Amino acid sequence: MRLAYEKRGRVLIVKPLEKRMDLSITDDFKKQMEAFIKEGQALFVLDLSEVDFVDSSGVGAIIACLRMLGGNGDLVIAGVCEKVMNLFKLTRMDRVFQIFSSSDEALTGFHS
Amino acid sequence: MNDAPLSKLTGETAALQASILHHFRYSLGHEWQSQNPGDIALAVSLAVRDRLVDGLLETEKRYRETDAKRLYYLSMEFLIGRSLGNNLYNLGLFRSCGDALQELGFDLEELREHEWDAALGNGGLGRLAACFLDSLASLDMPGFGYGINYEFGLFKQEIDNGYQREKPDSWLAELMPWEIGRADEACIIPVYGRIEHDRDRLGNYNPMWLDWKVIVGVPVDMPIVGYGGRTVNYLRLYSARSSTEFDIHIFNEGDYFRALDQKIESEKISKILYPSDTLEMGRELRLVQEYFLVACALRDIVRRYEENHRGMEAFPEKVAIQLNDTHPALTVSELMRILVDEQALSWEQAWSITTRTLSYTNHTLLPEALEKWPVNLLEVVLPRHLQIIYEINRRFLQQVVEVWPDDPDRLRRMSLIEECDNKQVRMAHLAVVGSHSTNGVAALHTELLKKNIIPDFYELWPERFNNKTNGITPRRWLLKCNPMLAGLISDTIGESWITDLGKLRLLEPYAADAGFQDAFMRIKQVNKERMAAIINEKVRVKVDPHSMFDIQAKRIHEYKRQLLNVLHIIHEYFCLVEDQIEPEAPKTYLFAGKAAPGYWAAKQIIKLVNNVGAVINHDSRVRDLIKVVFIPDYRVSLAEKIIPAADLSEQISTAGKEASGTGNMKFALNGALTIGTLDGANIEILEEVGEQNIFIFGLRAEEIQTMQMENSCHPREHYLHSPAIQRVMDALRNDRFSENEPGLFKWLFDKLVEQEDEYFHLADFHSYVHAQEKASREYRKPGNWAEKAVLNVARIGKFSSDRTIMQYAGEIWDLKSIR
Repeated sequence: MRLAYEKRGRVLIVKPLEKRMDLSITDDFKKQMEAFIKEGQALFVLDLSEVDFVDSSGVGAIIACLRMLGGNGDLVIAGVCEKVMNLFKLTRMDRVFQIFSSSDEALTGFHS
Repeated sequence: MNDAPLSKLTGETAALQASILHHFRYSLGHEWQSQNPGDIALAVSLAVRDRLVDGLLETEKRYRETDAKRLYYLSMEFLIGRSLGNNLYNLGLFRSCGDALQELGFDLEELREHEWDAALGNGGLGRLAACFLDSLASLDMPGFGYGINYEFGLFKQEIDNGYQREKPDSWLAELMPWEIGRADEACIIPVYGRIEHDRDRLGNYNPMWLDWKVIVGVPVDMPIVGYGGRTVNYLRLYSARSSTEFDIHIFNEGDYFRALDQKIESEKISKILYPSDTLEMGRELRLVQEYFLVACALRDIVRRYEENHRGMEAFPEKVAIQLNDTHPALTVSELMRILVDEQALSWEQAWSITTRTLSYTNHTLLPEALEKWPVNLLEVVLPRHLQIIYEINRRFLQQVVEVWPDDPDRLRRMSLIEECDNKQVRMAHLAVVGSHSTNGVAALHTELLKKNIIPDFYELWPERFNNKTNGITPRRWLLKCNPMLAGLISDTIGESWITDLGKLRLLEPYAADAGFQDAFMRIKQVNKERMAAIINEKVRVKVDPHSMFDIQAKRIHEYKRQLLNVLHIIHEYFCLVEDQIEPEAPKTYLFAGKAAPGYWAAKQIIKLVNNVGAVINHDSRVRDLIKVVFIPDYRVSLAEKIIPAADLSEQISTAGKEASGTGNMKFALNGALTIGTLDGANIEILEEVGEQNIFIFGLRAEEIQTMQMENSCHPREHYLHSPAIQRVMDALRNDRFSENEPGLFKWLFDKLVEQEDEYFHLADFHSYVHAQEKASREYRKPGNWAEKAVLNVARIGKFSSDRTIMQYAGEIWDLKSIR
């Protein structure tokens, strides 16, 4: 899976570059996130601005990443398109994750 | 550039002709010389469609500008039939189109025969939905249909050795000119999965619906034009597609076919209409279909609402949703899920919005037809909805306890959950609880609903219950299917009846007028001659168009009692050949209708009709005084030919079983007299047309109920005390009509004589025979018969679906005409 990442202070912005977060890439995604967490990274912005579809495995993978932090960090989501937002609302994920319109706004949210 | 002959036409007719030629060449890619009538018909439809699209866009603009409240009619079935003729009439282009085609050397009537019926329904419920859409548009009301775009509609019926054989109805194999693709408005529907019980950021309980499968709902719109062409609404139909074309992971492993499994699995959802018109429970695919419809519809409705409104508080003021039977009852839980889970409203707010938006129509009195879904199936297919249904039930039962504190039986009766080994969700209870209005479809039906079927709910919420007697659209069921009669009526009293069917009352003074009667009966005769030609073509039986056409055309079902009709025919046959008693008038008995493929008894009844027909039609002693015919593949387009040809309309269900019926109204509107029981809308037809103009017989609903409660119906007694009944039943037992298949109809003897005769055939037999004799005697007095037939037409105005819709609009939906 193609993934871009950028460190801004203590926050790592992780940006999947695939259009679809589905079964074909979620294993890779979880492994990459696990590696970041093992290296000590605790604060994440997951930038989904390139993604236009998330299936149930994608949702499951994002939740799994939050659980991997074990309460010792946070993962927020940014750049969600309408279709994906509908899925997040449907699963009530929007009540678990803070969701921002962009990575910059998410970073501001972290700093405040 | 086309090479069709030069036209001498002008104006609208010329424009229509040009459009037909344009589409023939550029949409279908044909040279004019090819002239295949099917393709010409298609080109005509495409030309008409262009004119609908203008109306569709203009109508939507009108609704948007006025921010009109909209009604959405959710139904698993829409039995539309053919659209070309209907659209031409409603647009006022029928004559123009005929002229345009005539100049090109084609006959519009012949071309119309090439159109496929859109059979996305089984019978009355689906056809009612279609009539309602026509009335909504004709009344300029913002009313839209939501349904499923079944790839295979109701099966085609063939008769082979007297038996029904089903063939697939691949209507979409034909290019459908009436569909406007709306792929850009596709929606994503999750289904299956599980609930994970979690906490949200604030520490509150947060049930998360995970591991669902995604189905994509892709809509097409069928324009629905009202009479006069001012308003064009639409019927939105959804097809199911997989969210991925194929699973690339599996494909990469080299298994192409397994990769396609997911795609095929998803597309099964909109593949086929379930062909039973009473019940199809327990089938997982059907449950998924029902949810698919509800989820797509609500996603679309909410999206459209949110385009112009902020917040959901005004939703009930801008949206009304009607549930056509319990098939879309999941709307209650789905709307709650959207409001609570996605819109983050409190339960109380969401519940208020839901109940004020939804209303429910009950269509059945048969207890076995009340839909229930196993809890363990819902747990697998719709886990979040099951949670929501449990919560609805918990709060509802709290209310019940407050009203009736020490009544555990009532709690058990009213609960949304039927507690038994295999717990079930009672969908009728869900629909009643989750809506502000529950209606029956005829006065008697609504009373029985309140008294017998769900009396606890009526006691709790009497204000929610109301009656909306069914109706039929006079455009399709008189103007289009019986143009000669429509023309006679219009020439006599003007055209206002087309949109105000009560105006038919103006015909009353003409009922006794010999000149009018003569014209009226000549039209009936022409219709009968046309039907006789169809009978000869389809089943190779020659019938006398001067005989009384006695017709029973409807779904085959024991409660509708095609069997009673056959028993009488056998009786009449024996009277003739054994007693030398001729029938009062020569009769042609015409049967038509489909049986659900899994309904053994109904299919045996079809076989019986055909076997009885084979014997009687070939018995030289009968001398053509009796003919019995079963016409295969009853559908809307065939109904449009059969109904205008009827003299006597059979509406003979066991009293208390038929919720309303609508075939009864169609026949009466076309000048047939009814022979029927006091059931469904027959009762109101009697009230309207007068007891002199209808042949009523049989036990009343209350009498039947009493006999059932007292167990005082003893069919064997009827058999023992009636030589006529003995003769008929013994003939069935003794293979008089099944010489080559011994024992074939013995089950009928067992069922009707030895067992309980559940539908009271024998109890009503003599009363029915008596009514038939009376009808035949009347038929021999042409002046009397004609007067009664005219009075039936004149007094049937109440049964226009325009009246029904105006009642729904005024009393349930708060919906206005937007002109």
